[in-house]
Amino acid sequence: MNDSHSSNNHSQRPSHEDSSDSRLVEAHSQLAKNKEEPSEGFSSLPIVIVFLFCGFGFWAGVYLTRNAGGFSANTFDLDAPRLVADSGPKVFEADLAKGEKLFIQQCAACHQANGLGVPGAFPPLAGSPWPLGNDERIIKIVLAGLAGEIEVKGAKYVGNMPNIGAGLNDAQVANIVSYVRSAWGNNAEAVTDVKVKDIRKAIGGRGQYSPKEILDAHPLETK
Amino acid sequence: MKNLNLILAGVFFTLAASFGGLLLSGQVQLGQLHRAPAEEGGPLFPAKEPGLAIQGREVYLSLGCVTCHTQQVRPAGQGNDIARGWASRPSVARDYVLQSQVLLGNRRLGPDLVNYGARVKSDDEVHTHLRTSMPGSVMPAYGFLYTQSKDGSFRPTEDAVALVAYLKSLKIDYSSPEAKLKQ
Amino acid sequence: MSQDYSSRGSVSRIDASISVPVRTFIFSSLLWLLVASVLSLIVALKLQVPSFLGECPWFTYGRIETLQRNAFIYGWASNALFALNLWIMSSLARFELKSSWLPVLGGIVWNLTLTYGLIQVLLGQLNGFALLEMPKEVAPAMVVAFLFAALWPAVAFARRPTGNVFVSQWYIIGATFVFPVITVVAQLMLLWCPTLGVMQALVHSWFYQNLILLWLGGSALSAVYYFVAKESGRTISAYYLATVGFWTLFLFASWTGPATLLGGPIPVWLQSVGVVAALLMLVPTVITAVNIFGTLAPRNGIAQAWNNTTLRFVLVGAISFTLSALLNIVFSTRSLNALVRFTPFGQAQEHLAIYSFVSMVIFGAAYYILPRLTGSFWPSAKLVHLHFWSCAAGSLLFVVAGLTQGWAAHGRTDFAVSALPGLLAASLLLVGHFAFALNALGMLAADKAPSNRRSY
Repeated sequence: MNDSHSSNNHSQRPSHEDSSDSRLVEAHSQLAKNKEEPSEGFSSLPIVIVFLFCGFGFWAGVYLTRNAGGFSANTFDLDAPRLVADSGPKVFEADLAKGEKLFIQQCAACHQANGLGVPGAFPPLAGSPWPLGNDERIIKIVLAGLAGEIEVKGAKYVGNMPNIGAGLNDAQVANIVSYVRSAWGNNAEAVTDVKVKDIRKAIGGRGQYSPKEILDAHPLETK
Repeated sequence: MKNLNLILAGVFFTLAASFGGLLLSGQVQLGQLHRAPAEEGGPLFPAKEPGLAIQGREVYLSLGCVTCHTQQVRPAGQGNDIARGWASRPSVARDYVLQSQVLLGNRRLGPDLVNYGARVKSDDEVHTHLRTSMPGSVMPAYGFLYTQSKDGSFRPTEDAVALVAYLKSLKIDYSSPEAKLKQ
Repeated sequence: MSQDYSSRGSVSRIDASISVPVRTFIFSSLLWLLVASVLSLIVALKLQVPSFLGECPWFTYGRIETLQRNAFIYGWASNALFALNLWIMSSLARFELKSSWLPVLGGIVWNLTLTYGLIQVLLGQLNGFALLEMPKEVAPAMVVAFLFAALWPAVAFARRPTGNVFVSQWYIIGATFVFPVITVVAQLMLLWCPTLGVMQALVHSWFYQNLILLWLGGSALSAVYYFVAKESGRTISAYYLATVGFWTLFLFASWTGPATLLGGPIPVWLQSVGVVAALLMLVPTVITAVNIFGTLAPRNGIAQAWNNTTLRFVLVGAISFTLSALLNIVFSTRSLNALVRFTPFGQAQEHLAIYSFVSMVIFGAAYYILPRLTGSFWPSAKLVHLHFWSCAAGSLLFVVAGLTQGWAAHGRTDFAVSALPGLLAASLLLVGHFAFALNALGMLAADKAPSNRRSY
């Protein structure tokens, strides 16, 4: 940008050297072809770049897992993900169909599919006060089992129920219990997986309950 | 890198990838969003806009209000919008499902308006604000929205009435499943 | 000083073949530049004196600012980039345009449509999506006009005699491809069959980032690479990285949309994806900066570039590109973005990208292209100086003022910022643009019959 135009500032010299563009293209094509054997100064650069790329990729993955709010459509605030998880659509709802299936597999051998049990051997669940009312009693029995003499609907049984629930996850236990509490004319509220989880944590890996122990903690409700 | 088709295919791929990753997946998640009650069995929010407010949005658009006013409140951890008292909860996607044009805006020469309807007391307050220039504000007076009658009082034009109805309809004073109002 | 070179026949055959369309584009872009600069002065005045032109709905701040933005991007920058892309590609690909009336027709339709759209905006027919504010019937015409006006670089590339290519050519092809695609998609999803709720904001952010970073930015980068190599007479220093720089730019830039919506009512994972893309932009930025400054810096090259009109503008553009990209990267992090979002900071960032980078590069290119196209000198060297210094000072002032005001605004609850720096900057830019336009129009007017001056 010299004040005198006619100086050696060639951007203002109005001629278009036709060959110079070809030279430019050729020279750079040559460079592109020779990239396998870069000149000395740059030999370490491609490796650095590869490492940088890997680093960026790793960082991007970590960042996204930490800051994506579970890729949920309902998370708008990174600082309050719990609030959304608690109030959003992911609230547990007992699946009674799954509960029935699990009941047939796990429980019907003794209590029978109709929930009436076997007189003199296995107590009924239909109409029994044991699974109804306070849900902690039945959840505890399913999780830890029950051994000893009990009375159900006026008949005596010597129970030896194993800890069925120990081999099931919280949602499965919640589904079975909810099914039992709502099938065959039973009419009690469903239970949630969170409740099962809390009770499982509270009782730890204990053995079977005795009838006295469980009834002292959770007496049968009389109608 | 010498083949035109290769370059075009590559650039097409990059655009298609971002289109799919951002817009299509966004559409899958947000495309069917609808109104929801604040609590079980309650009324659905956001509330339907009054017809006058829908006309008012056209005035808002036509005057270019979106250039200076946003309609979004960020969460407390992201800026000081809530601390400024513009709303008591951040805005979420569900708040916008009824709007024919979503005017989030990206500049603030004046306050955010997403909850303006809940902040003002009366229509008159809004009319005064539009008709006169507030001290210390860069917002000019929109005198052409009003006509002066012989006794010196000001009558709002139809546009002004619609605009005020629209501004007063801007509210996020309800809980949505994604963002509860602070008690 | 101005001399008539026609007798020497110094206009090459290639330049002669594209002379008419390139002149059309440059002439239109000059007019739009003046319109846009006057409008920005009005915008700045309205911030200082809010009641200025306040009695009429035609001149609300929102409408004038919308006019200014569209006139600048679609009128000035896009027209000028039509010219630049065509000229650079024709030179590199040894292409002689056979039917120059097609791009001229495209240019005319483009400008008429834009004029119609902007008049509609002035009358109040505008919507709220930045750079898509014009009525929806404008878009199809503009896309068709774009294809007529901007397709020729691709034709030139396809018909080039040798297989070899230069990095500038990729950028031109990519940028030319991006514009119609994003415009069609955005128009469909926003205006013709609008998506629901905040999806609109998402679509718009995708469109906007692609438009600024790829159509404007990509085209300008092609000119940067071309003039740096051509005017310095050197080869690009780390040329083998240029491919990586090109692909990473196109790959990452189009994902950065949601990073401009941080804190907004869109799902947080989309925002995070945008943040990641924005930070990955570091790769193309560093590669481009290494290539440009690595080429210019050695052997006193910066000083030589400073003494060359074209390279001085391009150098300022390249520095602005680097700064702008780095600022965008740093301020796409959540915590920093929260402080400056919605403040004048964002305007300053945008000004850095579309003015200090793209426009300065266009100016530099014009100083190279116009003499070769017309076969004559720039009429006045003083005006060239005036142009450079007032534009450099104006844009520096605007950017520094915006960044500091935006930074100072965080934590405050009022909106009071001084409008004086913006007013001064707009005036400086207007002076610079008049100087440029005077020079360029003088040059175009002095040479009315290009077809008689072909050299065979």
